[in-house]
Amino acid sequence: MGAVVSQLLERPCDQGLDHAVTLPVNGTENERVRQVNTADLDILLRGVAQRDPEAFAALYDATRSRVYGMVARVLRDRGYSEETTQDVYLQVWRTAESYDPASGSALAWLLTLAHRRAVDRVRAEQAATQRDSRYGAATLERPADHVSDSVISGEERRRVTACLGGLTELQRECIELAYYQGMTYVQVSERLSANLATVKSRMRDGLRALRNCLGVR
Amino acid sequence: MTHSYDNTAGADLLDLAVPYAFHALPDDERDELEDRIATAGLAVADAFYDEVRAVRETMAVASAASAEEPPAELRGRLLSAVADDNVRFLRTPNRRRTVWMSAAAALVVGLITVGIGVSLRPPAQTPSTAEQVFAASDVHTISGAIPAGGTATVVFSRDRNAGVLVMNDVPPPGPGTVYQMWLVSDTGATSAGTMDAQAVAPSTTAVLTDLGNSKKLKFTVEPGSGSTQPTGQVIAELPLI
Repeated sequence: MGAVVSQLLERPCDQGLDHAVTLPVNGTENERVRQVNTADLDILLRGVAQRDPEAFAALYDATRSRVYGMVARVLRDRGYSEETTQDVYLQVWRTAESYDPASGSALAWLLTLAHRRAVDRVRAEQAATQRDSRYGAATLERPADHVSDSVISGEERRRVTACLGGLTELQRECIELAYYQGMTYVQVSERLSANLATVKSRMRDGLRALRNCLGVR
Repeated sequence: MTHSYDNTAGADLLDLAVPYAFHALPDDERDELEDRIATAGLAVADAFYDEVRAVRETMAVASAASAEEPPAELRGRLLSAVADDNVRFLRTPNRRRTVWMSAAAALVVGLITVGIGVSLRPPAQTPSTAEQVFAASDVHTISGAIPAGGTATVVFSRDRNAGVLVMNDVPPPGPGTVYQMWLVSDTGATSAGTMDAQAVAPSTTAVLTDLGNSKKLKFTVEPGSGSTQPTGQVIAELPLI
Protein backbone atom coordinates (compact mmCIF):
# COMPACT_ATOMS: atom_id res chain seq x y z
CA MET A 1 0.00 0.00 0.00
CA GLY A 2 1.24 3.46 -0.77
CA ALA A 3 2.70 5.54 2.00
CA VAL A 4 0.25 8.39 1.91
CA VAL A 5 -2.87 6.35 1.88
CA SER A 6 -1.37 4.17 4.56
CA GLN A 7 -0.89 7.27 6.64
CA LEU A 8 -4.42 8.27 5.95
CA LEU A 9 -5.56 4.94 7.22
CA GLU A 10 -3.57 4.93 10.40
CA ARG A 11 -5.70 7.19 12.46
CA PRO A 12 -9.11 5.64 12.12
CA CYS A 13 -7.74 2.21 12.84
CA ASP A 14 -6.59 3.59 16.15
CA GLN A 15 -9.85 5.26 16.73
CA GLY A 16 -12.16 2.50 15.74
CA LEU A 17 -12.90 1.81 12.13
CA ASP A 18 -16.21 0.15 12.90
CA HIS A 19 -17.67 3.38 14.01
CA ALA A 20 -16.66 5.09 10.81
CA VAL A 21 -17.98 2.30 8.66
CA THR A 22 -21.38 2.50 10.22
CA LEU A 23 -21.79 6.13 9.27
CA PRO A 24 -24.35 6.62 6.57
CA VAL A 25 -22.84 6.98 3.14
CA ASN A 26 -25.73 8.88 1.71
CA GLY A 27 -28.13 11.46 2.99
CA THR A 28 -27.80 13.73 5.94
CA GLU A 29 -24.25 12.92 6.94
CA ASN A 30 -22.92 13.76 3.52
CA GLU A 31 -25.04 16.82 3.33
CA ARG A 32 -23.63 18.04 6.59
CA VAL A 33 -20.08 17.36 5.54
CA ARG A 34 -20.34 19.27 2.31
CA GLN A 35 -22.48 21.98 3.76
CA VAL A 36 -19.46 23.52 5.41
CA ASN A 37 -17.62 23.60 2.18
CA THR A 38 -19.91 24.30 -0.66
CA ALA A 39 -22.50 27.00 -0.28
CA ASP A 40 -20.48 29.18 2.07
CA LEU A 41 -17.35 28.88 0.05
CA ASP A 42 -19.15 29.93 -3.10
CA ILE A 43 -20.20 33.10 -1.36
CA LEU A 44 -16.77 33.72 0.08
CA LEU A 45 -15.14 33.18 -3.28
CA ARG A 46 -17.46 35.72 -4.84
CA GLY A 47 -16.39 38.12 -2.13
CA VAL A 48 -12.75 37.43 -2.88
CA ALA A 49 -13.43 38.16 -6.53
CA GLN A 50 -14.61 41.59 -5.37
CA ARG A 51 -11.31 42.06 -3.53
CA ASP A 52 -12.87 41.75 -0.10
CA PRO A 53 -10.04 40.98 2.37
CA GLU A 54 -12.46 39.69 5.00
CA ALA A 55 -13.93 37.20 2.58
CA PHE A 56 -10.40 36.18 1.72
CA ALA A 57 -9.54 35.67 5.39
CA ALA A 58 -12.70 33.64 5.95
CA LEU A 59 -12.04 31.53 2.86
CA TYR A 60 -8.50 30.93 4.03
CA ASP A 61 -9.65 29.85 7.47
CA ALA A 62 -12.29 27.55 6.07
CA THR A 63 -9.94 25.80 3.66
CA ARG A 64 -6.36 26.25 4.82
CA SER A 65 -5.98 22.86 6.49
CA ARG A 66 -7.34 21.03 3.47
CA VAL A 67 -5.13 22.95 1.07
CA TYR A 68 -1.98 22.88 3.14
CA GLY A 69 -2.49 19.25 4.10
CA MET A 70 -2.91 18.13 0.50
CA VAL A 71 0.03 20.22 -0.68
CA ALA A 72 2.18 18.86 2.14
CA ARG A 73 1.27 15.29 1.19
CA VAL A 74 2.44 15.94 -2.33
CA LEU A 75 5.56 17.94 -1.52
CA ARG A 76 6.61 16.34 1.77
CA ASP A 77 8.66 19.37 2.67
CA ARG A 78 7.45 22.03 5.02
CA GLY A 79 9.17 24.94 3.37
CA TYR A 80 7.99 24.04 -0.10
CA SER A 81 4.51 23.37 1.19
CA GLU A 82 4.29 26.71 2.91
CA GLU A 83 5.51 28.55 -0.17
CA THR A 84 3.17 26.66 -2.44
CA THR A 85 0.21 27.22 -0.15
CA GLN A 86 1.01 30.91 -0.13
CA ASP A 87 1.18 30.93 -3.91
CA VAL A 88 -2.13 29.10 -4.09
CA TYR A 89 -3.97 31.66 -2.01
CA LEU A 90 -2.39 34.58 -3.78
CA GLN A 91 -3.53 33.02 -7.03
CA VAL A 92 -6.99 32.69 -5.52
CA TRP A 93 -6.92 36.36 -4.63
CA ARG A 94 -5.99 37.26 -8.18
CA THR A 95 -8.16 34.84 -10.10
CA ALA A 96 -11.26 34.27 -7.97
CA GLU A 97 -13.38 35.94 -10.63
CA SER A 98 -12.51 33.12 -13.01
CA TYR A 99 -14.35 30.63 -10.81
CA ASP A 100 -17.51 29.42 -12.49
CA PRO A 101 -19.99 27.75 -10.10
CA ALA A 102 -21.44 25.83 -13.02
CA SER A 103 -18.19 23.94 -13.43
CA GLY A 104 -18.08 22.62 -9.88
CA SER A 105 -17.86 23.55 -6.23
CA ALA A 106 -15.62 26.28 -4.90
CA LEU A 107 -13.78 23.72 -2.81
CA ALA A 108 -13.04 21.56 -5.85
CA TRP A 109 -11.90 24.62 -7.78
CA LEU A 110 -9.55 25.58 -4.97
CA LEU A 111 -8.11 22.12 -4.43
CA THR A 112 -7.67 21.59 -8.15
CA LEU A 113 -5.71 24.80 -8.34
CA ALA A 114 -3.66 23.79 -5.29
CA HIS A 115 -3.01 20.30 -6.64
CA ARG A 116 -1.86 21.69 -9.97
CA ARG A 117 0.65 23.92 -8.20
CA ALA A 118 1.83 21.18 -5.89
CA VAL A 119 2.38 18.81 -8.80
CA ASP A 120 4.19 21.49 -10.77
CA ARG A 121 6.41 22.14 -7.81
CA VAL A 122 7.22 18.52 -7.12
CA ARG A 123 8.12 17.99 -10.78
CA ALA A 124 10.24 21.13 -10.81
CA GLU A 125 12.12 19.93 -7.76
CA GLN A 126 12.62 16.54 -9.34
CA ALA A 127 13.87 18.17 -12.51
CA ALA A 128 16.28 20.16 -10.41
CA THR A 129 17.70 16.78 -9.34
CA GLN A 130 17.31 17.58 -5.71
CA ARG A 131 15.12 14.58 -5.28
CA ASP A 132 17.93 12.34 -4.12
CA SER A 133 19.68 14.81 -1.89
CA ARG A 134 17.80 17.52 -0.13
CA TYR A 135 14.43 16.43 -1.37
CA GLY A 136 15.00 12.77 -0.73
CA ALA A 137 16.10 13.50 2.79
CA ALA A 138 13.09 15.65 3.37
CA THR A 139 10.76 12.83 2.50
CA LEU A 140 12.05 10.84 5.42
CA GLU A 141 10.68 13.35 7.82
CA ARG A 142 7.20 12.50 8.76
CA PRO A 143 4.90 15.45 8.88
CA ALA A 144 4.02 16.56 12.35
CA ASP A 145 0.95 15.05 13.90
CA HIS A 146 -2.21 16.37 12.48
CA VAL A 147 -3.36 19.37 14.36
CA SER A 148 -7.04 19.14 14.83
CA ASP A 149 -8.93 22.10 13.55
CA SER A 150 -12.43 23.28 13.99
CA VAL A 151 -13.35 23.13 10.33
CA ILE A 152 -12.98 19.43 9.76
CA SER A 153 -14.46 17.11 12.31
CA GLY A 154 -12.82 13.89 13.35
CA GLU A 155 -15.94 12.20 12.15
CA GLU A 156 -15.56 13.59 8.68
CA ARG A 157 -11.94 12.59 8.57
CA ARG A 158 -12.78 9.07 9.70
CA ARG A 159 -15.50 8.73 7.16
CA VAL A 160 -13.22 9.69 4.28
CA THR A 161 -10.52 7.43 5.61
CA ALA A 162 -12.93 4.55 5.81
CA CYS A 163 -13.88 5.11 2.19
CA LEU A 164 -10.23 5.10 1.17
CA GLY A 165 -9.85 1.92 3.17
CA GLY A 166 -12.61 0.33 1.15
CA LEU A 167 -10.60 0.49 -2.05
CA THR A 168 -8.53 -2.40 -3.35
CA GLU A 169 -4.83 -2.14 -2.77
CA LEU A 170 -4.10 -1.52 -6.44
CA GLN A 171 -6.74 1.19 -6.63
CA ARG A 172 -5.27 2.86 -3.58
CA GLU A 173 -1.76 2.66 -4.92
CA CYS A 174 -2.77 4.19 -8.21
CA ILE A 175 -4.42 7.10 -6.42
CA GLU A 176 -1.53 7.45 -4.02
CA LEU A 177 1.13 7.59 -6.70
CA ALA A 178 -0.74 9.73 -9.20
CA TYR A 179 -2.55 12.14 -6.93
CA TYR A 180 -0.39 12.34 -3.82
CA GLN A 181 3.01 11.78 -5.36
CA GLY A 182 2.45 13.71 -8.55
CA MET A 183 3.43 10.89 -10.91
CA THR A 184 2.11 10.68 -14.43
CA TYR A 185 0.01 7.62 -15.11
CA VAL A 186 2.84 6.24 -17.22
CA GLN A 187 5.19 6.54 -14.25
CA VAL A 188 2.57 4.86 -12.11
CA SER A 189 2.42 1.92 -14.48
CA GLU A 190 6.21 1.63 -14.42
CA ARG A 191 6.32 1.83 -10.65
CA LEU A 192 3.66 -0.82 -10.23
CA SER A 193 4.84 -2.95 -13.16
CA ALA A 194 1.29 -2.86 -14.43
CA ASN A 195 0.25 -2.09 -17.97
CA LEU A 196 -1.25 1.24 -18.83
CA ALA A 197 -4.74 -0.06 -19.43
CA THR A 198 -4.76 -1.67 -16.01
CA VAL A 199 -3.60 1.51 -14.34
CA LYS A 200 -6.20 3.60 -16.11
CA SER A 201 -9.01 1.26 -15.27
CA ARG A 202 -7.91 0.92 -11.62
CA MET A 203 -7.78 4.65 -11.27
CA ARG A 204 -11.21 4.95 -12.73
CA ASP A 205 -12.70 2.14 -10.68
CA GLY A 206 -11.07 3.48 -7.55
CA LEU A 207 -12.42 6.95 -8.06
CA ARG A 208 -15.85 5.62 -8.82
CA ALA A 209 -15.85 3.59 -5.62
CA LEU A 210 -14.55 6.50 -3.60
CA ARG A 211 -17.11 8.82 -5.09
CA ASN A 212 -19.97 6.48 -4.33
CA CYS A 213 -18.74 5.88 -0.81
CA LEU A 214 -18.46 9.61 -0.16
CA GLY A 215 -21.81 10.30 -1.75
CA VAL A 216 -20.40 12.85 -4.16
CA ARG A 217 -22.90 13.59 -6.84
CA MET B 1 -21.93 8.24 -12.48
CA THR B 2 -22.98 5.99 -15.25
CA HIS B 3 -22.12 7.39 -18.59
CA SER B 4 -23.05 5.55 -21.69
CA TYR B 5 -20.67 5.92 -24.51
CA ASP B 6 -21.31 4.46 -27.83
CA ASN B 7 -17.90 3.92 -29.28
CA THR B 8 -14.54 2.70 -28.13
CA ALA B 9 -12.88 6.03 -28.84
CA GLY B 10 -15.20 7.63 -26.32
CA ALA B 11 -14.43 4.90 -23.82
CA ASP B 12 -10.71 5.43 -24.39
CA LEU B 13 -11.10 9.08 -23.69
CA LEU B 14 -13.11 8.50 -20.55
CA ASP B 15 -10.38 6.24 -19.24
CA LEU B 16 -8.15 9.28 -19.22
CA ALA B 17 -10.51 11.42 -17.17
CA VAL B 18 -8.90 10.47 -13.86
CA PRO B 19 -5.31 11.03 -15.02
CA TYR B 20 -6.46 14.30 -16.53
CA ALA B 21 -8.17 15.43 -13.35
CA PHE B 22 -5.12 14.29 -11.33
CA HIS B 23 -2.72 16.33 -13.45
CA ALA B 24 -1.12 12.99 -14.22
CA LEU B 25 -0.74 13.49 -17.96
CA PRO B 26 2.39 15.01 -19.45
CA ASP B 27 1.58 18.43 -20.90
CA ASP B 28 1.80 17.30 -24.51
CA GLU B 29 -0.52 14.36 -23.91
CA ARG B 30 -2.95 16.59 -22.07
CA ASP B 31 -3.04 19.03 -24.98
CA GLU B 32 -3.52 16.20 -27.43
CA LEU B 33 -6.32 14.77 -25.31
CA GLU B 34 -8.10 18.10 -25.18
CA ASP B 35 -7.86 18.32 -28.96
CA ARG B 36 -9.31 14.85 -29.35
CA ILE B 37 -12.17 15.66 -27.02
CA ALA B 38 -12.89 18.87 -28.82
CA THR B 39 -13.38 16.93 -32.04
CA ALA B 40 -15.11 13.90 -30.54
CA GLY B 41 -18.53 15.48 -30.32
CA LEU B 42 -20.57 17.07 -27.61
CA ALA B 43 -21.72 13.86 -25.95
CA VAL B 44 -18.20 12.58 -25.47
CA ALA B 45 -16.97 15.96 -24.29
CA ASP B 46 -19.80 16.26 -21.80
CA ALA B 47 -19.20 12.78 -20.47
CA PHE B 48 -15.48 13.42 -20.16
CA TYR B 49 -15.73 16.74 -18.36
CA ASP B 50 -18.54 15.44 -16.15
CA GLU B 51 -16.22 12.70 -15.04
CA VAL B 52 -13.35 15.14 -14.52
CA ARG B 53 -15.61 17.33 -12.44
CA ALA B 54 -16.73 14.35 -10.36
CA VAL B 55 -13.14 13.28 -9.74
CA ARG B 56 -12.26 16.76 -8.56
CA GLU B 57 -15.27 16.95 -6.28
CA THR B 58 -14.38 13.56 -4.87
CA MET B 59 -10.79 14.50 -4.14
CA ALA B 60 -11.97 17.78 -2.64
CA VAL B 61 -14.11 15.86 -0.16
CA ALA B 62 -11.28 13.38 0.38
CA SER B 63 -8.96 16.22 1.37
CA ALA B 64 -10.49 16.04 4.83
CA ALA B 65 -8.38 12.96 5.44
CA SER B 66 -5.06 14.70 4.80
CA ALA B 67 -5.96 18.01 6.41
CA GLU B 68 -3.15 19.60 8.36
CA GLU B 69 -2.86 23.07 9.82
CA PRO B 70 -0.38 25.30 8.02
CA PRO B 71 2.10 27.35 10.04
CA ALA B 72 0.22 30.11 11.82
CA GLU B 73 2.42 32.88 10.38
CA LEU B 74 1.15 32.16 6.89
CA ARG B 75 -2.18 33.74 7.65
CA GLY B 76 -0.74 37.10 8.59
CA ARG B 77 1.55 37.16 5.61
CA LEU B 78 -1.26 36.39 3.20
CA LEU B 79 -3.61 38.91 4.71
CA SER B 80 -1.03 41.66 4.64
CA ALA B 81 -0.11 40.73 1.08
CA VAL B 82 -3.68 41.06 -0.13
CA ALA B 83 -4.21 44.22 1.89
CA ASP B 84 -1.26 45.85 0.21
CA ASP B 85 -2.97 47.35 -2.74
CA ASN B 86 -0.41 50.11 -2.63
CA VAL B 87 2.41 47.66 -3.11
CA ARG B 88 4.24 48.05 -6.35
CA PHE B 89 4.75 44.97 -8.39
CA LEU B 90 8.02 43.33 -9.06
CA ARG B 91 9.11 40.13 -10.57
CA THR B 92 11.30 37.88 -8.55
CA PRO B 93 14.32 37.54 -10.78
CA ASN B 94 15.89 34.34 -9.54
CA ARG B 95 13.03 31.91 -9.35
CA ARG B 96 12.04 29.37 -11.89
CA ARG B 97 8.43 30.28 -11.82
CA THR B 98 7.30 33.33 -13.65
CA VAL B 99 4.03 33.79 -11.85
CA TRP B 100 3.53 37.23 -10.51
CA MET B 101 3.41 37.80 -6.84
CA SER B 102 2.79 40.94 -4.95
CA ALA B 103 6.01 42.45 -3.80
CA ALA B 104 5.40 41.72 -0.17
CA ALA B 105 4.57 38.14 -0.97
CA ALA B 106 7.63 37.76 -3.13
CA LEU B 107 9.68 39.14 -0.33
CA VAL B 108 8.16 36.73 2.12
CA VAL B 109 9.12 33.84 -0.10
CA GLY B 110 12.59 35.28 -0.22
CA LEU B 111 12.68 35.49 3.52
CA ILE B 112 11.63 31.90 3.88
CA THR B 113 14.21 30.84 1.34
CA VAL B 114 17.10 32.51 3.06
CA GLY B 115 15.98 31.61 6.52
CA ILE B 116 15.40 35.03 7.97
CA GLY B 117 13.24 33.30 10.53
CA VAL B 118 16.36 31.85 12.08
CA SER B 119 18.69 34.75 11.73
CA LEU B 120 16.65 37.84 12.31
CA ARG B 121 13.50 37.03 14.16
CA PRO B 122 13.71 37.72 17.87
CA PRO B 123 13.21 34.71 20.08
CA ALA B 124 10.12 36.10 21.75
CA GLN B 125 6.76 35.62 20.15
CA THR B 126 6.22 39.30 19.62
CA PRO B 127 5.99 40.10 15.92
CA SER B 128 9.36 40.63 14.34
CA THR B 129 10.18 43.93 12.72
CA ALA B 130 9.64 42.25 9.36
CA GLU B 131 6.21 41.01 10.35
CA GLN B 132 5.26 44.42 11.67
CA VAL B 133 6.35 46.02 8.43
CA PHE B 134 4.36 43.56 6.35
CA ALA B 135 1.31 44.08 8.49
CA ALA B 136 1.52 47.87 8.35
CA SER B 137 -1.26 49.65 6.53
CA ASP B 138 1.19 51.95 4.77
CA VAL B 139 3.62 49.30 3.58
CA HIS B 140 5.51 50.16 0.40
CA THR B 141 7.83 48.14 -1.73
CA ILE B 142 10.60 49.50 -3.91
CA SER B 143 12.77 47.33 -6.07
CA GLY B 144 15.69 48.19 -8.28
CA ALA B 145 18.27 46.45 -10.40
CA ILE B 146 21.84 46.86 -9.33
CA PRO B 147 24.06 47.68 -12.31
CA ALA B 148 26.69 45.14 -11.32
CA GLY B 149 23.99 42.46 -11.19
CA GLY B 150 21.13 41.33 -9.01
CA THR B 151 18.33 43.26 -7.41
CA ALA B 152 17.65 45.07 -4.19
CA THR B 153 14.15 45.26 -2.79
CA VAL B 154 13.11 47.19 0.23
CA VAL B 155 9.74 46.89 1.92
CA PHE B 156 9.14 49.66 4.40
CA SER B 157 6.57 51.35 6.54
CA ARG B 158 6.74 54.91 7.75
CA ASP B 159 4.23 54.10 10.46
CA ARG B 160 6.56 51.41 11.76
CA ASN B 161 9.61 53.51 11.03
CA ALA B 162 11.28 50.37 9.69
CA GLY B 163 11.96 48.39 6.58
CA VAL B 164 13.29 45.08 5.34
CA LEU B 165 15.86 44.85 2.59
CA VAL B 166 16.32 41.80 0.41
CA MET B 167 19.17 41.49 -2.06
CA ASN B 168 19.18 38.72 -4.62
CA ASP B 169 22.03 37.59 -6.83
CA VAL B 170 24.17 40.58 -6.08
CA PRO B 171 27.85 39.92 -6.83
CA PRO B 172 30.02 40.08 -3.73
CA PRO B 173 32.10 43.18 -2.98
CA GLY B 174 35.76 43.04 -3.94
CA PRO B 175 38.41 41.85 -1.50
CA GLY B 176 38.93 44.22 1.38
CA THR B 177 35.66 46.04 0.82
CA VAL B 178 32.06 45.84 1.98
CA TYR B 179 28.77 47.11 0.73
CA GLN B 180 27.41 49.72 3.06
CA MET B 181 23.79 50.88 3.21
CA TRP B 182 22.92 54.46 4.01
CA LEU B 183 19.69 56.11 4.93
CA VAL B 184 19.91 59.47 3.24
CA SER B 185 17.89 62.46 4.43
CA ASP B 186 18.16 66.18 3.80
CA THR B 187 20.61 66.45 6.64
CA GLY B 188 22.98 63.71 5.55
CA ALA B 189 23.58 59.98 5.46
CA THR B 190 23.35 57.52 8.33
CA SER B 191 24.86 54.08 8.11
CA ALA B 192 22.27 51.31 8.05
CA GLY B 193 24.76 48.46 8.14
CA THR B 194 27.28 46.67 5.98
CA MET B 195 27.45 43.43 4.03
CA ASP B 196 30.60 41.52 3.31
CA ALA B 197 31.12 38.91 0.61
CA GLN B 198 29.72 36.11 2.73
CA ALA B 199 26.65 38.06 3.62
CA VAL B 200 25.73 38.86 0.04
CA ALA B 201 25.48 35.61 -1.86
CA PRO B 202 23.11 34.44 -3.11
CA SER B 203 20.46 36.25 -1.12
CA THR B 204 20.62 38.39 1.93
CA THR B 205 18.23 40.31 4.07
CA ALA B 206 18.63 43.11 6.52
CA VAL B 207 16.25 44.92 8.80
CA LEU B 208 16.34 48.70 8.62
CA THR B 209 15.30 50.40 11.80
CA ASP B 210 14.70 54.07 12.42
CA LEU B 211 14.04 55.26 8.91
CA GLY B 212 13.46 58.75 10.34
CA ASN B 213 12.87 61.21 7.54
CA SER B 214 15.23 59.48 5.13
CA LYS B 215 14.39 59.85 1.48
CA LYS B 216 16.47 57.15 -0.04
CA LEU B 217 18.48 54.06 0.67
CA LYS B 218 21.94 54.27 -0.86
CA PHE B 219 24.48 51.49 -1.35
CA THR B 220 28.16 52.22 -1.59
CA VAL B 221 31.38 50.22 -1.69
CA GLU B 222 33.45 51.03 1.35
CA PRO B 223 36.91 49.89 2.40
CA GLY B 224 37.57 47.57 5.30
CA SER B 225 34.57 47.09 7.52
CA GLY B 226 32.79 50.25 6.48
CA SER B 227 32.89 54.00 6.90
CA THR B 228 31.15 56.59 9.01
CA GLN B 229 30.12 58.55 5.93
CA PRO B 230 29.75 57.34 2.34
CA THR B 231 33.07 57.64 0.57
CA GLY B 232 33.12 54.97 -2.12
CA GLN B 233 31.40 54.19 -5.36
CA VAL B 234 27.62 54.33 -5.26
CA ILE B 235 26.21 51.05 -6.58
CA ALA B 236 22.51 51.67 -6.12
CA GLU B 237 19.96 54.06 -4.69
CA LEU B 238 16.37 53.27 -3.88
CA PRO B 239 13.95 56.10 -3.24
CA LEU B 240 12.01 55.60 -0.03
CA ILE B 241 8.88 57.31 -1.20
